[in-house]
Amino acid sequence: MMISSAFRKEMSQTEIGKTINYCYQCGTCAGICPAFRVNSNYNPRRLVEDILLGFKDKLLNDKNIWLCTTCHLCLEVCPQGVLVSEMLFDLRHMAVAIGNIPENIREEGVRVFNTGLNLPNNPAIARRRTKMGLKENLMTPNVEVIQTILKEVGFPKLIEKLPEEGGNE
Amino acid sequence: MSEYALFVGCVIANRYPHLEKSGRMVLENLRIKFKDIPEFGCCPNPTGTLQISREAWTAAAAHNLCLAEDKGLDILTFCNGCYETLKSANVEMKNDPHHKDVVNKILSKVNMEFKGSINVVHFLEYVYKIITPEKLKETVVKPLTGLRVATFYGCHYGRPSSIVDFDDPIRPVSLDRVVEALGATSVEYLNKHTCCGSAISGIDEDSQLILLKDKLEQIDRVKADLICVICPACYMQLDGNQRKVNSKFGTNYKIPVLYLTELIALAQGIPPAELGLNFHAVKMKELIEKF
Ligand code: SF4
Ligand code: SF4
Repeated sequence: MMISSAFRKEMSQTEIGKTINYCYQCGTCAGICPAFRVNSNYNPRRLVEDILLGFKDKLLNDKNIWLCTTCHLCLEVCPQGVLVSEMLFDLRHMAVAIGNIPENIREEGVRVFNTGLNLPNNPAIARRRTKMGLKENLMTPNVEVIQTILKEVGFPKLIEKLPEEGGNE
Repeated sequence: MSEYALFVGCVIANRYPHLEKSGRMVLENLRIKFKDIPEFGCCPNPTGTLQISREAWTAAAAHNLCLAEDKGLDILTFCNGCYETLKSANVEMKNDPHHKDVVNKILSKVNMEFKGSINVVHFLEYVYKIITPEKLKETVVKPLTGLRVATFYGCHYGRPSSIVDFDDPIRPVSLDRVVEALGATSVEYLNKHTCCGSAISGIDEDSQLILLKDKLEQIDRVKADLICVICPACYMQLDGNQRKVNSKFGTNYKIPVLYLTELIALAQGIPPAELGLNFHAVKMKELIEKF
């Protein structure tokens, strides 16, 4: 397995990331983690350990890092003040940056970019809303403005669909 | 501030408008003044966009905050996801001038500027802190006496506690006090703090449904008449997917799930027929007959 001794430093560059250095592997985070409880392929303590040991390649290519429910319980209970959940979000951002993003999350990103909404307006709901005496479409964001903002932070590249491995280019 | 910008969020607006209906009626009953801002966009979702890019999440949230700042209005929201997003972006930029500058540089491309002049409030927070359970009680005309309610807060209401600091992050009490003010009994159950599973629905359906089954099992065990939620994503999972749990595990759960404003509306004497309760996946005929 490839080991990257620089990975810990790389992760420690942000205020969030540098808290990882205080981890003493007690496992309190795993004890309260709902994702770990139902699927042992996901273990926040182990993820922290793997980061500290420099298993960059393994982590960024591991689908299991996406099993987190984002509940932040780990962050609340860590006796060492490690911002576990937030730091694991950053781990996922590194995976996304090399094209490893679950399809449902990517599609959500595409909807947000294309319509300015995660759940776009649709005619059936608009009719139901009108019948209920509600405004036909409640949210009508200026998509151009939102796209300009998202382009500025490089969002389109992150939600591009990469060609399937082994497929014809 | 005496008037609010209402941030309904896309899940309620474009999937569960009946929740919006009860929400608006209750806001009026409680004499909370509010305006809609049609230009509001995706909050964006902490379980979606935040998992792709922190910068995109913050900048898009800041865009919404600026729209409310322009009108001089605090934001009031019905959705935990919108709450965590908007509140985090707001607090983080207010506390860190450097962070604020970075975001404002992005916003300058669309001629916007985050100033840090407003607050973000969840509907439950408003009822608990500003109205207070005592005053809420005075608006009740049909007390929910005898109803056993299992409250469920979801994950994005009280955490991270560095951002949201008015209730306990693991054992919050605000919703229980509010439900009791309506005359109901709030029942304790095991693993109340645990996620309903909604966030991983598109990632791992097995894990998602096991989490939901666990929750239903604990709530069923204490013989709750209904579950009261404060987040449309929890509502989607607990109400919409009970059937999936039943068919996967051979169970027979039929526990009604009500969003907080629906429960308040019933206690305030709004006729059930006006609330669109028929749009719930778990039917609640027996429950409605009590009103
Ligand atoms: S709870 Fe904190 S210190 Fe303990 S293993 Fe988890 S991250 Fe490390
Ligand atoms: S945020 Fe993720 S890692 Fe932390 S306890 Fe929740 S599911 Fe586990």
